[in-house]
Amino acid sequence: MKRESGYWFALPRLCARLAGQKVRRAEWSRCEAYGLGGLVFGIGCVFLGRALGTVVRPWPGRALCLLLTPIAIWLACLLVYFVNWLLATLLRRLGLYSRRTNKPLQSFVIIALVTLLAALLVRDESGWLRSLGIFWLGLVGLNLGAELIEKTA
Amino acid sequence: MSARHWFRHFAVRGVFWRRYLDFGQTDVPFYLRAIMMVTWTTFFFFFAAPARRALLSNLAVILPGSSRLTNYARAWLTLFNFAWTISDAADHKIARTEFAYAVEGGENLERLAAGPGAILLTAHMGSYDLGAALFADRYHRELRMVRAPEADEKTAEHVDASLAQATAGAVKVAYNTAGMALPFDLLNALRAGEIVSILGDRATAGISARETRLFGEVVKLPDGPFTLALVAQVPIYPVFVLRTSFHHYKIIAGEPFYCRRTEASRDAAIDAALAIWCRKLEEVIRPNWAQWFSLVPLFPAA
Repeated sequence: MKRESGYWFALPRLCARLAGQKVRRAEWSRCEAYGLGGLVFGIGCVFLGRALGTVVRPWPGRALCLLLTPIAIWLACLLVYFVNWLLATLLRRLGLYSRRTNKPLQSFVIIALVTLLAALLVRDESGWLRSLGIFWLGLVGLNLGAELIEKTA
Repeated sequence: MSARHWFRHFAVRGVFWRRYLDFGQTDVPFYLRAIMMVTWTTFFFFFAAPARRALLSNLAVILPGSSRLTNYARAWLTLFNFAWTISDAADHKIARTEFAYAVEGGENLERLAAGPGAILLTAHMGSYDLGAALFADRYHRELRMVRAPEADEKTAEHVDASLAQATAGAVKVAYNTAGMALPFDLLNALRAGEIVSILGDRATAGISARETRLFGEVVKLPDGPFTLALVAQVPIYPVFVLRTSFHHYKIIAGEPFYCRRTEASRDAAIDAALAIWCRKLEEVIRPNWAQWFSLVPLFPAA
């Protein structure tokens, strides 16, 4: 039985190491799989919902937007995967990308897109939206810091 | 290709979904998969009506006294687990993703791997494809896996290629059809010391089966594994691979049992072995009902 824990991101890995756990880079964490996915999807939904809220004024229309927003974000995710797949195919043909799967490239683009959305949320007037944006940017910053510590340590 | 033939690719068991799944493994980061799983599980929960009805009828027998509404929720959860397990098997195949696993009854698994020919009897639970790949990888033993043929020809080709790729050819697939050649092939394989893996919880059309009792109901289960064990004089190892959480599995390897002819008749020996298998199935399925992917109704009266 493999007893060590595994995290894909550097930040939880560093936290686990500091807590004295034996840890490795692996896609084994339920928190990462469900928590981060929910956060990425949630930021997308909040951003689109907020944008639609400024355009659509009547309440029945707003309620409909609220219902359709998760579906729109889900479809947007499919589109992003497809566009990134095309990009990866092109990069492979040019010899600029050679990883086994396209997941690293997909992850990079998606995290960059969500970070951009979070940066826009930071400029929002609403306090909780600003907090959400700051929270995401903080997580990205801490993760980059943890990655740097892992590489230099 | 006719339009009708083309549309068959999009049927529930069509090859389109297998290819889509492969795309998901290569292009969707693992932390975004849960959202896809929830969506597609909900889609198939509504559109794969025969599978949903089969799960409901099976759940009514396994957990008697439950409300129909509760069983609908359980059926959704079972399909959700099913989605994860086929996704994980594809993930292991394509991205060589590592999975954490615990073993219950490790000594039985060691005996199975170290011994000569044996029958590995399993059920449509958890990820038996992934389990076979992990076993072949850990013990460097070849495995012959018997499975029901896929309804779609292209899907069958895709599944064969996937398993061969995942296990580097260590797992050979044999299809459980009504022909006479397969039993002899399996018997020869067992006598040559190979391990034969068989799914023993569903009798498909044209396959030799006999009546037994499971969860107190009369059902028909395949008797081929027991006849083979009787003729080849090899042990039967009940093994189940269950999904415990995200990318975590548990392998349950039960005590081996035999189908031996003593003073009683051959039929009585097979009946006795089948009864042992049914008790083992009940023992594992009852607490793990959400992982029994029997997508065809097993209990006719339910």
